[in-house]
Amino acid sequence: MSDHEELESSVAAWVLGALDGDEAETVRSHTEGCPTCREVAAGLRRVVGALPLGVDEVGPPARLRERVLAAAVASRESPALPPAARAVIPRPKVPRPTSLAGVGRRMPAYTAAAVALIALLTGIVIGDVAFHAPQSPPASQVARFTLAGHQEMAGAQATVIDLKRDGLVLVDFRGLPPPGSGRVYEVWLIPAKGNPVRAAVFVPDSNGAKVVLVNQSVDGYTVMAVTNEAGPDGSQAPTQQPQLYGNVT
Amino acid sequence: MNVWNHAASFDAHRGSLRAWLLTSVRNRCIDYLRGRGGRERQERELQPEVAYALSPTDPWRDVALSLERTAVRDAMASLPAEQRQVIELAYFGGYTHAEIADMARVPLGTVKGRMRLALEKMGSYLRGRGLVDV
Repeated sequence: MSDHEELESSVAAWVLGALDGDEAETVRSHTEGCPTCREVAAGLRRVVGALPLGVDEVGPPARLRERVLAAAVASRESPALPPAARAVIPRPKVPRPTSLAGVGRRMPAYTAAAVALIALLTGIVIGDVAFHAPQSPPASQVARFTLAGHQEMAGAQATVIDLKRDGLVLVDFRGLPPPGSGRVYEVWLIPAKGNPVRAAVFVPDSNGAKVVLVNQSVDGYTVMAVTNEAGPDGSQAPTQQPQLYGNVT
Repeated sequence: MNVWNHAASFDAHRGSLRAWLLTSVRNRCIDYLRGRGGRERQERELQPEVAYALSPTDPWRDVALSLERTAVRDAMASLPAEQRQVIELAYFGGYTHAEIADMARVPLGTVKGRMRLALEKMGSYLRGRGLVDV
């Protein structure tokens, strides 16, 4: 086995933290100068980074949080604290308000309901629809939005949880009226320009509630809306004006 | 505080902030355990006043965490026993590959190979589930 092969064979152990000091330093130094091993290490490191996620969480005592925060505040006085420590954490850009330019020219040959969805987008941009600003923890890896019901669905609402890191969305529906025999609710994602995209189909439970998993991110879309469609699979295009919708930017 | 004081060492290109935090905490725990009683590592049962579940102030956070936890556990469970063992001993036990080879009575190269295969298989599994970004 060549030196490179020997070192490459140790990359997995290095990433797992299973090498002693000198050997770890040797592998670390090698990966810095070897694109192949560096790429291997990067891929394996992502998997190792997921390992702690499989462990049950245990809450720390309340006093621990107070102690840590107090120590952190005290450390600000210390010259050892890197002044740019917080600046290195990247934050995603907040998307700018959408523009309606070109929407009319590109309007697809859909039914009047599809036109209504695009008109809905207009209303949202004007500010006709109430929505909640996303509440983001540090690093903004999770965003929250609200869908509000109108007219016949005035009692309905939904909370949209955008799990950005995982590229999927959870939507918690409450207060939905029954869709009707043979009918389903269909979730649409609407871009600033273009056609509504089918996102999910579901039937609420007897309490009018449902948690729906949308297996894609809302990035690139402006609005999430829900219509009542024929079951069991919904429709390729919306067949009615939505009465439950909200901004997802 | 170690994480706070070394926050500048976080490199977003190498992984998520959460993964970095968890790895940092894990490394500190292993260092702590190594320093207690030398090479003898004992499972320490948390005292009752420490071990209580997080209050579910945000049910959506719990849903997301539950999905991830299940995916990672399923990925581990999908591994052959000998591969799962080396991951558990190395990552959660803090043992070196030489120590693992001694314990398992297999060549060092076998341990290294099992580590590589295990991580690659887990990565493939998790990517297929689409719930954890690997």
